[in-house]
Amino acid sequence: MANETLAGGAFRLRQADPATRRAALNQAIIYTVLIIGAAFAILPFLYTVSVSLMNLTEATGGRALPSTPQWTNYTEAWHDAQFSLYFMNSVKITLISVGGAVVFCALAAYAFAQMEFPGKSFLFTLLLSTLMLPEAITWVPNFITVSWLGRISPIPWINNWPSLTIPFMASAFGIFLLRQFFQQIPRELWDSAQIDGSGHLRYLITVVLPLSTAAVMTLVLFGFVGAWNALAWPILVTTSSDWRPISYGLLVFLDEAGALLHLQMAGAIITMLPIVVLYFFTQRHFIEGIATTGLKG
Amino acid sequence: MNSKRMWMLATLLVAALVLAACPAPAAQAPAAMEEEAPAGEAMDEGPCAPAADGPLAGIDPRGQTIVWWHQHRGSREEKLAVIVEDFNTNNECGIVLDAQNQGGYNDIRDKVNASTASGEQPASLIVGYQNDQAFYQLNGVLADFDTYIDDSTWGFSAEERDDFFASFMEQGVHPVFDSQRLGFPPNRSMEVLYYNQTWLKEMGFAGPPTTPEEFEAMACAGAEANGDGTGGYILRDDASAMASWTFALGGDVLNEDNTGYVYNGQATIDAMTMLKRMFDNGCAYFFTEGYPNPEFAARRASFTQGSSSGLPFYANDMVTIAEEQGRDMDVWGVTAIPHTTENPVQNIYGADVMITAGPPEQELAAWLFIKWFTTPEVQARWVEASNYFPTRAGTEAHLTGYVEENPQYGEALALLGYGAYEPQLISYQAVRDAAETAFNEIMQGADIQATLDALTDTANELQEELMGEVE
Amino acid sequence: MPGLHYTISAKSGVGALALQNWESGFHVDSTASQPAAFRSDLRQQVRAAPSWFRGRQGRRLREMLLAYSFLAPAFIIIGLFGLFPLAFAAYESTLRGLNKIVGSYDGLGNYVKAVDNLIYIITFWIAAALIYFAVQAFVRAFQEQRQEKTKPLPWLMPGFLTAAGAALFTRFVFILLPEMLLIPSKLRGQANTQEAFRALVVETWWLPKVQIALWIAILVLAAGSVWALLINRRMPTSSRERIYFMPFFNAGICLIGSAALTWFTWTEISAAYTAALEEGVELELWSQIVTISAGFLLLLLAWRLWESASGRSSNTGVALRLVGAVGLMAGAWVLIAELPRVVAAGDEDWWNGLMATVFYVLGTVPIQLGLALILAALLFQKIRGQTLFRVLYFLPYVAPFVGTAAVFRIIFSNRPTAPLNSLLDLFGAEPLLWLSEPAGIIQMITGGNIDLGPILSGPSLALVAIMIYGTWTYVGFDTVIFLAGLGAIPNELYEVADIDGAGGWAQFRHVTLPLLSPTIYFLSLYAVIGTFKAFNHIFVLRQAAALGTTDTASIVIFQAFKRDTRYGYASALAILLLLIIMVITLVNNRIASRRVFYG
Repeated sequence: MANETLAGGAFRLRQADPATRRAALNQAIIYTVLIIGAAFAILPFLYTVSVSLMNLTEATGGRALPSTPQWTNYTEAWHDAQFSLYFMNSVKITLISVGGAVVFCALAAYAFAQMEFPGKSFLFTLLLSTLMLPEAITWVPNFITVSWLGRISPIPWINNWPSLTIPFMASAFGIFLLRQFFQQIPRELWDSAQIDGSGHLRYLITVVLPLSTAAVMTLVLFGFVGAWNALAWPILVTTSSDWRPISYGLLVFLDEAGALLHLQMAGAIITMLPIVVLYFFTQRHFIEGIATTGLKG
Repeated sequence: MNSKRMWMLATLLVAALVLAACPAPAAQAPAAMEEEAPAGEAMDEGPCAPAADGPLAGIDPRGQTIVWWHQHRGSREEKLAVIVEDFNTNNECGIVLDAQNQGGYNDIRDKVNASTASGEQPASLIVGYQNDQAFYQLNGVLADFDTYIDDSTWGFSAEERDDFFASFMEQGVHPVFDSQRLGFPPNRSMEVLYYNQTWLKEMGFAGPPTTPEEFEAMACAGAEANGDGTGGYILRDDASAMASWTFALGGDVLNEDNTGYVYNGQATIDAMTMLKRMFDNGCAYFFTEGYPNPEFAARRASFTQGSSSGLPFYANDMVTIAEEQGRDMDVWGVTAIPHTTENPVQNIYGADVMITAGPPEQELAAWLFIKWFTTPEVQARWVEASNYFPTRAGTEAHLTGYVEENPQYGEALALLGYGAYEPQLISYQAVRDAAETAFNEIMQGADIQATLDALTDTANELQEELMGEVE
Repeated sequence: MPGLHYTISAKSGVGALALQNWESGFHVDSTASQPAAFRSDLRQQVRAAPSWFRGRQGRRLREMLLAYSFLAPAFIIIGLFGLFPLAFAAYESTLRGLNKIVGSYDGLGNYVKAVDNLIYIITFWIAAALIYFAVQAFVRAFQEQRQEKTKPLPWLMPGFLTAAGAALFTRFVFILLPEMLLIPSKLRGQANTQEAFRALVVETWWLPKVQIALWIAILVLAAGSVWALLINRRMPTSSRERIYFMPFFNAGICLIGSAALTWFTWTEISAAYTAALEEGVELELWSQIVTISAGFLLLLLAWRLWESASGRSSNTGVALRLVGAVGLMAGAWVLIAELPRVVAAGDEDWWNGLMATVFYVLGTVPIQLGLALILAALLFQKIRGQTLFRVLYFLPYVAPFVGTAAVFRIIFSNRPTAPLNSLLDLFGAEPLLWLSEPAGIIQMITGGNIDLGPILSGPSLALVAIMIYGTWTYVGFDTVIFLAGLGAIPNELYEVADIDGAGGWAQFRHVTLPLLSPTIYFLSLYAVIGTFKAFNHIFVLRQAAALGTTDTASIVIFQAFKRDTRYGYASALAILLLLIIMVITLVNNRIASRRVFYG
């Protein structure tokens, strides 16, 4: 019983005797809803997979399933799109920008959530306002910024890693997200940490961050997806293949494949696989919060 | 335990930064490290020596490295690389050309505009349409080709110049900017009608249509043969298609003095009336979820319309689908847009190359590449690699073998003399979108005359509005 | 000059302090088991620190500086890539010119082009709202003073001075910005080297007007903050004295902003009048401003009445409510009479774009969040196949949208044999045009016999198809964040609820929802902001056949900026969109401040 209580969650079902049958019914409802939802979520996706295994006639002929799966589509897409060339670039870009984002966003979010300083709400409003400008407007000023920074700093920014990573090392989204979670951490913890002689930074690293693993992992995940799928900005700030990401490879490939729908789909699936695998192996961390750390001890 | 994870993350970040910093290409400061040619050297005579007089006197193109931003991808890019490599190893000036793909036309445009805004030096050579040239020149980004074409040392001889189709050359000349020649045509494409000859024969027609009436009858026969809404002509709502039909029916979309748009001339009205009728009768249909070539190859369309640059894709799809369906490939071809004029009038378009204003040595080196790239022999190689059309008459002599192997290309090539051109006004990009919407409005049942009147007004207002922003 | 000296010492304090905190944080670890010994250790450390950082006020100062150093890296990046574009857009919106970064000055010209005279009303009301905020800050400060018997007045001058400094600093930015943006055009035609660029930057930086603006701003800012520090120093360490710096700073910023805006609008209006006089046209500006403003005012008053009425249960409350309703209707009527004329004079594409945007937001945000909340709640249960479900729901968000767009174009194709139309066919329904259908859905449901007008006929079917695509993509995103939020709820609370005998729904209602409120608040705000400027999903699915009914505000802005390179006009539109989002965020915050519960 106690174990179940611990493992359960949002609105758990009571396990009292008279309600056992109702619980079973509830379970059935939950599964039905989840399966229907999942069907909607992945049907378009299954279709993508299906098309990616067809030949040209089937892909453009509106068929639902391939007669014989053409696995060679994947090898063909991999070679044609030169994914191996862009894959490492994307990995590097993603690691740098996500790593930076976690550190900088966590620091700023902690200040907003747990510290007192004048201008807090003013700065936070300022932060939020940066989210409100349509992206189309930001490209030219941001290009100016990276170009100029490149010309006054020792390394060039254009067509190099700084322009692809540094702008994404802090975001209003990340700070806002982490702040929401940091703010929920009881003040008493800080008080006791202070008695233990802990400073803010130490408290952030040893208490706040472990308590917010779920939020941090969420930030990492979205940073990853964002960096992985970014397209317009990388094209603007790169001029050669040295730093172009995998999404550029996909775009070039989609263009070259043109009407070859099956190859397009295969290419799209190849590019998203790394993120799916990453999510699959880390997903349990996403709900690991206070529930598992047993702080009160 | 958890702090350990955080430290690992931090270490990872540092490692990634180091990883990133190390292989960073040694600062590619654009043009900063030019070879220091000993100044004031006495007249040197070798190949590629600077001119002694004229406007380009003393400018030494030797040893320059120039960058070309283009939109060619995939196999076209690979074949272009071979040609460029040939130039780099064999040109006697020691010029090195670095051809870089920058995405599509829009990406190049964004890049040039962003570079202009930030003071970053764009590539010496860029690809783009004629209305882009006008946008660029608002900031004085481009160099005037006439300086180089007319130069006695570096320019064209009279024969060479006359070898280029005059109409292609004219497209890059901009009256708004002192008639400077801002673009130069390396290749062209044209709007053509793709037809399935085998299928037409089966339905009892001799060959491709030349008049709108024949075209309509054939498309309707195809639609009837399929009987499921497909089989006819795939409607193309692009503004280039609208212009093509207007040209073919003897009209124009530009007014006489080339300053405004006329979308409500009789030719446009006739064309739209015919297309609307075909759409209503099921002889024409929309296919908007992908490219039309597989539809055409799978016999779901007897006719499609599009740029001749799609030829290799059609050829590829025809072979693939016939193979997959286990039948013989249909004979297919391209022909002029069915016309009421005596000779066909073909909408010819294509991006130019431009030289960006920069150090004169770079400009000259860029020109020398263009000059080489458009010599008949090289242009023939490029044309074979890309399936574009040549821009000078002399190239055709080098293409006989290729035309024999690619009859469809030959058919289209024969139409090259019948060119007409779309507007190059600064608002054309916006007007294209408006025209596309008007096309759809008509197909959805709006009154043709009223819609085209409104389109003409909108287009001219757009032009006025944009020109109003230019001081 | 003591002022200068103090700033420097305060500045050098930042780094030293951060370092100290690091050290104390880790060094103390070993002594943590002996709190008494540690405390004396701490006291020693404090004694070693400069006197500024001692005592209660000193601790406050230390925390402040440490907080700023925590914020610094993120704010440098966000300042460069978030705030600079904002300043850029604000500056550009006052210029005109094609493909010109530094065009010719046009005042509110771009705004007038977009929304006609409405812009004067908007600026007037922003100015009024700023004054209201300032007054509110004052009132709150003095109310608190009465309750807590503390003295706010000494803080008035430093607060105002710092606000003036901040305003002057903004002025400096807008003086420097155009000069800097001119560098690229100066660079053209000469050797474009790094050295030439750097030389130009240095030259621009040392321009007299730039330097003067900078030093005025720095001096005023320094005077304000030193004054504040001095007062902070003087405050008795023992009493519960409160710092009133921020209220006065905010009030100062609001007042200065309001004054600047009013002056700017006034010059613009007079210029418009002179121009109209020269052309011999009559300008209906004032009458429009008055009528529409009166309409807004009535609406506001009516709403206030309504609010105050909801607090009462007596008959007077009901009566007040009625009065409020009447006022509301009268206000709305005045609005309706005048607004359409103003709207018609503005940019039609822009208004249509805004309407499509509102449809898009209303059609996606509630559904997206509702679905995600349900899914997250279900996925948080102990069920078999949890991992699989979580991965499945997340797939749509991960997939590159260029790929999924191709699939959705096929699903929502107008062909009779396309997937959705085949499904309709199974049920004996007529095929639909989907992405090619410009007709509004309500119009279509009602059979299209009555012309409902653009607003009532609802979003076009094409836009609805795009909304479905957007929702499909983002449900997974929201679900992941909700899951993280659910994970942050302590299990003890459920145990307590269990002991109290609360059922599943009761637990959800009274434990889960309140504790999830920070996440809900975050997601709703983020989703509203995100959908208001949604671009990619719309852009990849829009078709000419939808006749522009799918072009939201961000599409219109994109076309103006990228296709037409009308930087000024596009920036003006973006600023208008930003204002709309900001107002909605403010309203959202007002509501949220009552409902969001942080542990």
